[in-house]
Amino acid sequence: MHVIRAACLIVALLLFSSPVGISIAQTSLNPDISVIPRFIIRTDDGEKLAEGKRIFSQPDFQFEELEVAVQSYLNPFSRADVILTLPGPDVEAGKLGIEELYATVFRGLPLDLNVRFGKYRAEFGKLNLVHPHAWPFATAPLVQERFLGEEGLNDLGLSVSVLLPTGDVYTKLTVDLLRGNAVAGAAGMPDTSGRKPAYANSARLMGFFPLGDFSDLEIGVSGFTGIHDPYERDRFWYANADCKYKYRPDTYTSLVVQGELLVNARHAHQDASGTPFLDASGNPEKRSITTSGLYVYADYQFLKVFSIGARYDWAQSPSSADVRSRGAAVFFGYYPVEETLGLRVQAANVTDRSPGVSPAGTPVEDVRSVNSITLQAVFSLGPHKAHPF
Amino acid sequence: MKRLMSFLLALCAATASPAVRVVTTLPDLADFTRQVGGDRVTVDFIVRGDQNPHFVEVKPSYMMKLKSADLFLTIGMELEMWAPQIVDGSRNASLDVVDLSRDVRKLEIPGKVDASKGDVHRFGNPHYWLDPRNVRAMIGGIVAALAKASPADESLFRSNAGAYLKRLDEKIATWENIMKPFTGSKIITFHKSWSYLADWLQLQVAGEVEPKPGIVPSPGHTAEIIRLVRSAGIKAIVVEPFYDLSAPEQIGGATGATVLVLPTSVGGVAQAVDYIALMDYNVAALAEVLR
Repeated sequence: MHVIRAACLIVALLLFSSPVGISIAQTSLNPDISVIPRFIIRTDDGEKLAEGKRIFSQPDFQFEELEVAVQSYLNPFSRADVILTLPGPDVEAGKLGIEELYATVFRGLPLDLNVRFGKYRAEFGKLNLVHPHAWPFATAPLVQERFLGEEGLNDLGLSVSVLLPTGDVYTKLTVDLLRGNAVAGAAGMPDTSGRKPAYANSARLMGFFPLGDFSDLEIGVSGFTGIHDPYERDRFWYANADCKYKYRPDTYTSLVVQGELLVNARHAHQDASGTPFLDASGNPEKRSITTSGLYVYADYQFLKVFSIGARYDWAQSPSSADVRSRGAAVFFGYYPVEETLGLRVQAANVTDRSPGVSPAGTPVEDVRSVNSITLQAVFSLGPHKAHPF
Repeated sequence: MKRLMSFLLALCAATASPAVRVVTTLPDLADFTRQVGGDRVTVDFIVRGDQNPHFVEVKPSYMMKLKSADLFLTIGMELEMWAPQIVDGSRNASLDVVDLSRDVRKLEIPGKVDASKGDVHRFGNPHYWLDPRNVRAMIGGIVAALAKASPADESLFRSNAGAYLKRLDEKIATWENIMKPFTGSKIITFHKSWSYLADWLQLQVAGEVEPKPGIVPSPGHTAEIIRLVRSAGIKAIVVEPFYDLSAPEQIGGATGATVLVLPTSVGGVAQAVDYIALMDYNVAALAEVLR
């Protein structure tokens, strides 16, 4: 009996001992795990502006952020994406958080719907879906910072998308129901994640148009509405138009031109500094505010590993048309082996204008113009998916 | 009577099962599918013949091609790492994705694989379609897939496949005859795309212009290749049309070797209108340079 058992064991070991076969099977059942940290060295001349001096600060070497992504299929019909983040600048004291955590059902639903639920970057505009490590520039456009916040439109929610019946043209409508946490953060209000939800809704309609073998164009329009002031229950509405053109004749060369325009309309009881609006009688009043912002950039890849680009920014404040900023940046990238390793250098200027008061008490416009130079290093450990458009 | 016959024929045409809608990754697979399927298939493909199949952007327009397809034929062996995202984006629950590598003879299956070795394919070298002896297994896979989609046409598919393979076998004999005088000749290739063709024609790939797969040529490695070409008297540097010719031309200029731009797929050059024409072109060009 022992001999028979031993023989069976030996036969089983021989049958299943192919290292390639077993390791491939095990590998294909494991999720894809990737680790992407970003580091920056930054200097700017804004520190001594109040003294009338323009002196570049000592370059500060900082850890910017670490992303850990765990992604895989759950079954033939759905997949899950988990992206954890450790924000800087203190690499030892940082707290691991959830950047995104969602499941997507992409097959088997009626009308070929896609359904996503969890915490995720909503499809509002084009750039909001792209993680910062994949940007060609080192800093977020002003319009995204001011109107969507540092993390972008990233919230708990449910998303449903459908491909519209437009023949051979790819057109997609995505609608999101969001908890509204991201909105509160973006507006500078206290975090409302523990409060009664003030739901937000967003939607994007996009179309993709091939313009020949080497060129493509994507156009989208988005809307977003929610409560930005949970105390007064004041509502905002965003309308956004986005456009991306890409010319890519081969793997060594490409040109991307992309831009977005956002228009904000909101009710508010206070201005950007938190000062309540008062009517002629000195009573608090609600006001309607309309402001906007935009960015446009071009990025040219050449010799496969290099890229050079420029970006223009303009943005008002969400709560005041008198507070506005203009920015310009040029950036250079070096990616010796695709996105496994990336170095970016960016020179930028941001000029902020806001209402102020002179020493004599007369209204003046405060202008603050800061120049910065940023060197950013990124590496990507783990499997690399093909690039989406 | 004639009117009745015409009416009946029209009725048959109207009620005949529709053609199988096939999308393939490479145009070579599209050619094989047309040869096997005839007018019982409609065929489209994603990667152009002059395009690098390793690096394809995931475009919504590709998802639309798959959205209404019945079959998606792939090379497999992780050549098309971009394919799953396009399949998922197509939202086509009834799409049958077929990997044609199942029964082919595979070369260069690596042991340990990690990123230090460059873009290594962990299941082996995927460029197997460049050995026409592998086409028999691929055609078998295509027949099986088409027959599953349209069982009523299975005998037609098998008949077409048999006729095509007979023609291909005759061409294989011709190509082998042309290349026989060059058995054992050494060549340099840009990427490890030509291992199967070299194995078939008994050529020896002495080195690659890329220091490792997917890594751009470095000055140091280029100098090494120049020394190798000189010492071994290598006559041909084989490069696909989608690779940068700077390093190959530098090697050719320093050594007198010919930079031979050869397509790996149908449509890669104007003359390569189908797979047989592709191999006709490549064999003739190789023979000319190695002479």
